[in-house]
Amino acid sequence: MKPLLLLWSLAPLLWQLYSSLITPEALVDPAAVAAGSFWTLENYRQLLVASPPFWRPLLNSSLVGGASTLLTLALALPCAYGLQRQRGALRWAATLVLLAAAMVPTVLLFLALLQLARSLDLGNRLLALSLPYSALNLPLAVLLLRAAFAELPAELEDAARLEGMNLAARLRHVLLPLLAPALGSTAILVFLSCWNEYPIALTWISRPELLTLPPAIARIAGSSLFTVPYGAFAAATVLGSLPLLLLVLVFQRSIVSGLTQGAIKG
Amino acid sequence: MSPAPSPRPARRQHGSAVWLMLPAFLLLAIVFLGPLLQAVWLSGQASSLLTGLQPVANGGANWQRLLGDGRFWQDTVFTLRFALVSVGLELVLGLAMALLLHRPGRGGGLLRALALLPWALPGTVLALGWRWIFQAPYGPLNALIQFLGGQPYGFLTTPATTWLFAVVADVWKSTPFVALLLLAGLQAIPAELEESLQLEGASRAQILRRLILPLLGPWIRLAVLFRLAQALGLFDLVQVLTRGGPAGSTESLALYAYLQAMRFLDFGYSATVVVATFLLLAVLTLLGWLLLRWGRGRERDRQRGRPVSPAAAGGAG
Repeated sequence: MKPLLLLWSLAPLLWQLYSSLITPEALVDPAAVAAGSFWTLENYRQLLVASPPFWRPLLNSSLVGGASTLLTLALALPCAYGLQRQRGALRWAATLVLLAAAMVPTVLLFLALLQLARSLDLGNRLLALSLPYSALNLPLAVLLLRAAFAELPAELEDAARLEGMNLAARLRHVLLPLLAPALGSTAILVFLSCWNEYPIALTWISRPELLTLPPAIARIAGSSLFTVPYGAFAAATVLGSLPLLLLVLVFQRSIVSGLTQGAIKG
Repeated sequence: MSPAPSPRPARRQHGSAVWLMLPAFLLLAIVFLGPLLQAVWLSGQASSLLTGLQPVANGGANWQRLLGDGRFWQDTVFTLRFALVSVGLELVLGLAMALLLHRPGRGGGLLRALALLPWALPGTVLALGWRWIFQAPYGPLNALIQFLGGQPYGFLTTPATTWLFAVVADVWKSTPFVALLLLAGLQAIPAELEESLQLEGASRAQILRRLILPLLGPWIRLAVLFRLAQALGLFDLVQVLTRGGPAGSTESLALYAYLQAMRFLDFGYSATVVVATFLLLAVLTLLGWLLLRWGRGRERDRQRGRPVSPAAAGGAG
């Protein structure tokens, strides 16, 4: 059964990798494959000499993803701490609001967010995307971090308080070191979701050199309705997947445990 | 004589702790509540090229137009059909995947990571990939069909069936998310329970039906609600995979709202479609929640043990 699972998950991705490495002739004609010598890096070269080159959206997505992750954590951490200390109706209502917000599909917000971007002149500013992105990821981040706060023994903080440490000192010296694993897995999940966001990036950014990865990919898809540059398509999907593939493989443990722990202990 | 209640230093903190939550909730209000309220307001306005993009109140004209708009209703039917079929499939396959990943074994962590990969990758990237896989007549699927002696099939050009292949692409991407949530539920089930049933001679199917499924209830509910809401907001996938075609057969409500605003510059009507989609989503998830809660009530009558409840889980699908 396990090989079947791997086949299901990886076959479409491996096929993209294969398609990206062969000549356009070999892609459409099995006879060319049989004749041999069909391997090529031309599809990748095309992407990298395009204007703007394909590393630009990758860089843009990394910048937006990084900035948004930092902002999300900076807002979510105090919020999770505060929420964990609430009792009764306020705690219940705040949790319900967070769950409801986590369920709203981003695309339903694009129209008004576009107006907001226009009136505040936030369009075509890469890092301005961090504002909506942080909000979109706050619910998940707060819920995960609150679950982590709930895990810490209350005596620990009481002791630090008796020592005369104020909230900032308690957070920095006592709570944050213990929260490091939860912070790490939350950060990765937030980064993944920012890297993948499409509708807001699509409507806020129009200058080609500022596009993040998802709209850049969609632009490649839309630019060529009448030709068939599927080799370049495949190369773009490979390059667009590679950074996340590495991220998932390196941090697999904290991604899986972050989500499952958050779910169990909430 | 009962011991005196110890002084709780934490109590004094409650007030100040509320302030810590304010910045986050302020941003949430700006990005979630603001747009929803604005959409509701804008759905009562004419705001298009005809009005010079200025909002002018037009009574309920947008809503009247919506009721008679065949394209809107066609998109509603597609969106509903897509959401129900794909979430149903994701639940079944996600359960199978979770059971498989739950089994201990060598390389379990790596297997989990690789199984999760489709969920972690950007939707637009995957949609572009699927466009090549489904391409006619040269794509890999058609190459396989021709190799086996069949005729090439227009996976993305046959209006009657294209929605099914959008479902395939979505199921492929979102099943790992469901599996991950259910895996969390499986890990919360004490191994001794399963072992004792095994000692009593219960088969795997019996253990699944009598022990695992009832205890997974809360996670199944959570997964269904999250996936249903996300699937009703379908946008990335169809915008790249089919552009809503062929013949509008895979145009989702969100894509229709997007086209009204960005192609036809009719912001008032776009807002109306957004609000209608949101209402549909709210009603359906509420209905789903009530149905599942009713199911839980009946479950409770049947069993004594109460499952742990998941209050926090990922919505990043």
